[in-house]
Amino acid sequence: MRTASGKRTKAENIYLPVSGRIEEIRKKTEDVSLFRVSTASPLRYTPGQFFMVSVWGAGEVPISTASLCEDDLFVEFCVRKAGTVTGAIHSLQEGDRLWLRGPYGNGFAVGRRANGDVLLVAGGIGIAPLRPIIQMFAKDGSAGSVTLLYGSKGPQDVVFMDEVQVWRSGGIDVILTVDRANCDWRGSAGLVTDLWHRARVDFSRATAYICGPEIMIKSVMRDLSLFGMPDERIITTLEAHMKCGVGKCGHCYSGPKYICTDGPVFSYKEIKEYSLLG
Amino acid sequence: MKSEWVLSKDHLSYWLRQLRNERELIGPLRDGGKDILFRTVDMLHEIVLECPSSLPSPKGFLFPQYEAMFSCRGLSLSDGSDGKREISDLRDRTRRVIFGVRSCDVSAVRLLDAFCLGKLRDPYYEERRRNTFLISLVCNNPDPTCFCLGLGTGPYLEEGFDIQMTDLGDRYFVQAGSPEAVRTVRAMNFFFRKPRKVDYEDQYEVFLSSKARFRKRINLEGPRQAILSGKVGDDFWQEVTDRCFECGGCSYSCPVCTCFTVTDRINPEGIERARLWDSCMFKGFTRMAGGVLPNEKRVQRTKRWYYHKLVHYPRTTGKFGCVGCGRCAVACPGKIDMARTATKIKGLALKEEVE
Amino acid sequence: MNTIQTVCPYCGCGCGLYLHVEAGRIEGTSPSKLHPVNGGSLCVKGWNAHEFVSHPDRLKFPMIREDGRLRRASWDEALDLVARKLSGIKTSYGPDSIGILSSAKCTNEENYLMMKFTRAVLGTNNIDHCARLCHSSTVGGLAAAFGSGAMTNSINEIPEAKVLFVIGSNTTEQHPMIGKHMLEAVDRGAVLIVADPRRTQIAEFAHIHIRHKCGTDVALLMGIMNVIVNEGLVDVDFVRRRTENFDAFEEILRRFPPDVVEGITGVKAHDVRRVARIYSMEKRSMLFYAMGITQHITGIDNVRACADLVMLTGHIGLPMSGLNPLRGQNNVQGACDMGALPNVFTGYQPVSDSKTRTKFERAWRRKLPGGPGLTVMEMTDSAYEGRLKGMYIMGENPLLSDPDLSHVREAMKRLEFLVVQDIFPTETAEYADVVLPASSFAEKDGTFTNTERRVQLLRKAIPPVYESRPDWEILGDLMTRMGYRMNYRGAYEIMEEIALLTPSYGGIHHHRLQEGFGLQWPCPDGNHPGTPYLHRRKFARGLGTFIPIDFVPPDEPPDREFPLLLTTGRISFHYHTGTMCRRTMVLDREEPECYLEMNPLDADRLGLKHRSMVKVTSRRGSIKVRLYVTPRIPEGSVFIPFHFKEAAANILTNPAVDPNAKIPEYKVCAVRVEPLHAPREVEKPPVVDLEDLRIT
Ligand SMILES: Cc1cc2nc3c(=O)[nH]c(=O)nc-3n(C[C@H](O)[C@H](O)[C@H](O)COP(=O)(O)OP(=O)(O)OC[C@H]3O[C@@H](n4cnc5c(N)ncnc54)[C@H](O)[C@@H]3O)c2cc1C
Ligand code: SF4
Ligand code: SF4
Ligand code: SF4
Ligand code: FES
Repeated sequence: MRTASGKRTKAENIYLPVSGRIEEIRKKTEDVSLFRVSTASPLRYTPGQFFMVSVWGAGEVPISTASLCEDDLFVEFCVRKAGTVTGAIHSLQEGDRLWLRGPYGNGFAVGRRANGDVLLVAGGIGIAPLRPIIQMFAKDGSAGSVTLLYGSKGPQDVVFMDEVQVWRSGGIDVILTVDRANCDWRGSAGLVTDLWHRARVDFSRATAYICGPEIMIKSVMRDLSLFGMPDERIITTLEAHMKCGVGKCGHCYSGPKYICTDGPVFSYKEIKEYSLLG
Repeated sequence: MKSEWVLSKDHLSYWLRQLRNERELIGPLRDGGKDILFRTVDMLHEIVLECPSSLPSPKGFLFPQYEAMFSCRGLSLSDGSDGKREISDLRDRTRRVIFGVRSCDVSAVRLLDAFCLGKLRDPYYEERRRNTFLISLVCNNPDPTCFCLGLGTGPYLEEGFDIQMTDLGDRYFVQAGSPEAVRTVRAMNFFFRKPRKVDYEDQYEVFLSSKARFRKRINLEGPRQAILSGKVGDDFWQEVTDRCFECGGCSYSCPVCTCFTVTDRINPEGIERARLWDSCMFKGFTRMAGGVLPNEKRVQRTKRWYYHKLVHYPRTTGKFGCVGCGRCAVACPGKIDMARTATKIKGLALKEEVE
Repeated sequence: MNTIQTVCPYCGCGCGLYLHVEAGRIEGTSPSKLHPVNGGSLCVKGWNAHEFVSHPDRLKFPMIREDGRLRRASWDEALDLVARKLSGIKTSYGPDSIGILSSAKCTNEENYLMMKFTRAVLGTNNIDHCARLCHSSTVGGLAAAFGSGAMTNSINEIPEAKVLFVIGSNTTEQHPMIGKHMLEAVDRGAVLIVADPRRTQIAEFAHIHIRHKCGTDVALLMGIMNVIVNEGLVDVDFVRRRTENFDAFEEILRRFPPDVVEGITGVKAHDVRRVARIYSMEKRSMLFYAMGITQHITGIDNVRACADLVMLTGHIGLPMSGLNPLRGQNNVQGACDMGALPNVFTGYQPVSDSKTRTKFERAWRRKLPGGPGLTVMEMTDSAYEGRLKGMYIMGENPLLSDPDLSHVREAMKRLEFLVVQDIFPTETAEYADVVLPASSFAEKDGTFTNTERRVQLLRKAIPPVYESRPDWEILGDLMTRMGYRMNYRGAYEIMEEIALLTPSYGGIHHHRLQEGFGLQWPCPDGNHPGTPYLHRRKFARGLGTFIPIDFVPPDEPPDREFPLLLTTGRISFHYHTGTMCRRTMVLDREEPECYLEMNPLDADRLGLKHRSMVKVTSRRGSIKVRLYVTPRIPEGSVFIPFHFKEAAANILTNPAVDPNAKIPEYKVCAVRVEPLHAPREVEKPPVVDLEDLRIT
């Protein structure tokens, strides 16, 4: 009864991935690598958006764009080896194919020249979606000051250690912190929320972009709100179990919102209004 | 244009036979232990018209429990070509006509249409839906568990059906609701005649009598208001949840639920990517990397299920995510279901008012 | 789309379900709305029963071990090899050097054929199956007391009952559809008494939840009976007319007054009295038990105690009144009925009885052995010692399900020849010389008997996948190759033969099972409607016998070195050794890794964190699992589900067995739990309290 299976129809299929070629893999830490992928047709994406990235036989996972969309020809993914699919991605080599569909999600609505200060807060792999914003400000500068507060587990786990210097010379105040320091470590130790006094920003006028583990997001947002930052300018990207990326599978549904299509970027205001976090 | 006709009962099987020439005919049949199930009709006389509602709903014909999405052959990871050629899209293109659908299930299909064919169109659903034609019957024997009456999703519909038939004893009153349905009837118009006054009167009478047969009259608006006004606390949901077996039956049997998960299988013939029904009643449904379980407590999941149908659905679509088919009442081993829960919430709200 | 009515392949509830077949492929499952057991519901395993059928891991073709590796072979080659090897072992070492494991997952017909193969073709009684590991104490214990061991009532009687006494059964998780009926009964006003050390879901609904110490069931039950006798709650009439040996029994009962029982079990004397009164005063009282009773060295005694209790109160032989062992596997009842046991033919007809033997000898035209054969564990021991040379294992996975796995593994290695016949590659198949691919439940016809003795038809929905064949066909083919011609045209012909030789199945034929939902044995003739409840006017053995029993503490109590008491069990998302459910997406996602439940008090004392990895060690080995801290489990005990091969709980369990039933003591052994990593020093205490973070 299945007719003409195997033939492609003209109507497009939102679940059909296109193939990309892995141009370069850069190992960043023990379990994080940066994959540079090119596709045959041009790609347009903004910071904060994500792609559904798949390896046939292993499955599909959402991965944020970690690069600035500049010449349409490639996209970078910063992937942490966390399980089956991300493990399969890590087993690929340069020249291999990775399958993509997207970009999906709303992305950060960040202008090239934000008025006021900008505070970026990242935890662990959460630096990945923020990297394009950092790159953007490092290149073009911004009206106010730009501060990055970036917390990692240990000194070996700082994902973009090699780029910190570039960012700093681009005028960004980078504050690194680790949970557990060793003797070589010259940054601070402790949680990002212990380092507010180091951030030279006017909280009431600044915009914050946050990405990291849920616990971190929650406490950072709460603190910033207490410091007088307006809720609609506390912006974060949420993570959820995702199977489709296009608002159909239901996994990412939280409150009345689909994280994949209505997000993943939300302001603290929306998070409170729709109780998106617990 | 009035697309209404009358079909003599003697002509029903002729007509169905004609339809079957072009499509696979699905209808309610009795299986083994007298259960009613929708499946391919071999013998037309085996179709049962006066029967309790089927379990499962006809949802599976549009959104099957297991559906292959793609197959991917001879794919080598390092091959530099664009690779599209090896991937085939396994959309089912079977043309089907489903006869004997209940009004609530037609209403559910409308909700599915709105959800699946919105901005981003689900191609698998779309293809099946385009090829599927529903013939519904005005319900004259609701089950004790049915409560579509209070929701306006049955026992008969004013609009939204493909073809709706009303049993007038010796004949059917036939209404066509979609252009395709009108075309289908027109193409075989020698079976049909124009309705007369008495036909309209008889149809109205059937409508009235079918309404009178309901045992349950449940309005979901009350419970929705109660939830929105914060009267329904977590202890209420905990009590509901204590009885949950985490079987997923409520979602599997519900004609409105659409959640799925995706799996890749490495078969000897190639890799298959398939989707299968899933349910937010499982804690793994929201499992994240590293085993984090945002909804580890059962009560969070029950709440989510009811919130989705009672609160979020109306907020985004203006309609409840429930059509009152009563299947969750049949499927739930813990006797948690929409009707019962709604009634309990109402009781709760009333109690509060009194206090 | 076609729908095929069949039976769930997982648990002993035997739910009716439909497989939805589209273009030769199973697309879905749905419950039968009118089925007397599940009435429109299924548990999560049942709802997903179709998924593993077409899983790519299915065994696809026969395989033969060559130079240490399994290679693909043709059916002819593989079966000829099996026939040659088994015949060889039989001639050189004698028939008793071969052992057979039959399967509670296979149909009645297949178990019957396996039994026939063992006894008539191989000429040995060395046949057993996993019922040994779950309910052999039921079969033994109830046979002695009543004359037959099975659930005495029907599942759909439960909602009408007034008192439900559930002991050692995590019903809502392990027999979900029986749990469903129990909740229904509670809704209708029944009193629910649950005796279980763990706070299970069903215990949440209990009016009385007794948390006795693991392994003290006999004492508890004796205490209850002591109260019944002392308070004059005995059904004197019943005891006088229908039972014997009461006096000897009463003698021993005197040793168990409630306060003594309180000392042994930790249950308040007051509660013992309450239970005794509630249970005995209401006629519609049903007693349920499961593995919490049977899997002990005192398994048979536990079962006997239950039997004594129902006889004492006369709560048996009536609807809604009886003793109900809940059998685990979908067809464990059937496999026992079919005589896949070392000492009986079908319908529990003893092999030692020469008249029965003659009957079978005449039907089968072969001389049959009379001495009892080896049980599962005896087979492994015997293989370990080198006496058993060959084994044929159908649909079982002793390398995950048996206690003391290291010992089993060595035994399998020492075998000269091992055949494994299954649907998926199992741990045991890694040691096999020949692996035969069998068809799953969806690809064959046959019957399953559920825990309430309901014999139901299994229907073929799709043709066998790849090169697999139904077990009965494989066995028939093999028997023919070994010189015993078998040519059944279908499973129904085997059923006819079973009916001919088995009084309780005398009227059960496939054609009678086509319509409706099966027949409950005993069903002696073609017109008999089946029997919903047993022992109506008299017990199967005539008079019921009171068996005096005494309390024996568990074989391996906790001590200083191993201070915690480990008990093992199942969880609702998985089933037994997981070969089927762990290949079902939703089920495997739900609990992908093994865990250990521990009481918060113990966890605090040991300094262990929720969700951290721990090492569990017993006298036999150790495994690594994730810790789950929960008050469900009492202080001093820990619980591990046994489905996970990465952390097989049965590496830890004690192989000490019940002296009669030979059932191993899965439910109790002593362990020690240690953190896997040295506890991490938290450098900075978390600044914020998690609860404060909840944003509303
Ligand atoms: C919008 C978004 C952007 C993300 N961006 C990045 C990124 O840039 N870099 C990065 O390393 N990780 C990112 N993640 C997390 C990443 O998707 C998960 O680590 C990944 O899905 C884990 O899959 P797995 O199969 O390797 O893990 P497993 O633990 O083997 O599988 C977990 C199961 O959950 C499913 N799943 C779906 N969504 C998630 C999820 N969000 N987290 C965990 N499991 C999920 C998987 O498909 C799988 O079935 C992002 C997640 C989201 C939602
Ligand atoms: S919630 Fe229950 S009653 Fe409502 S449509 Fe779904 S299954 Fe039917
Ligand atoms: S059907 Fe009932 S028991 Fe099953 S998941 Fe739904 S609410 Fe829970
Ligand atoms: S309760 Fe048992 S028989 Fe019923 S669906 Fe679940 S596993 Fe299958
Ligand atoms: S990922 Fe499927 S709905 Fe959002």
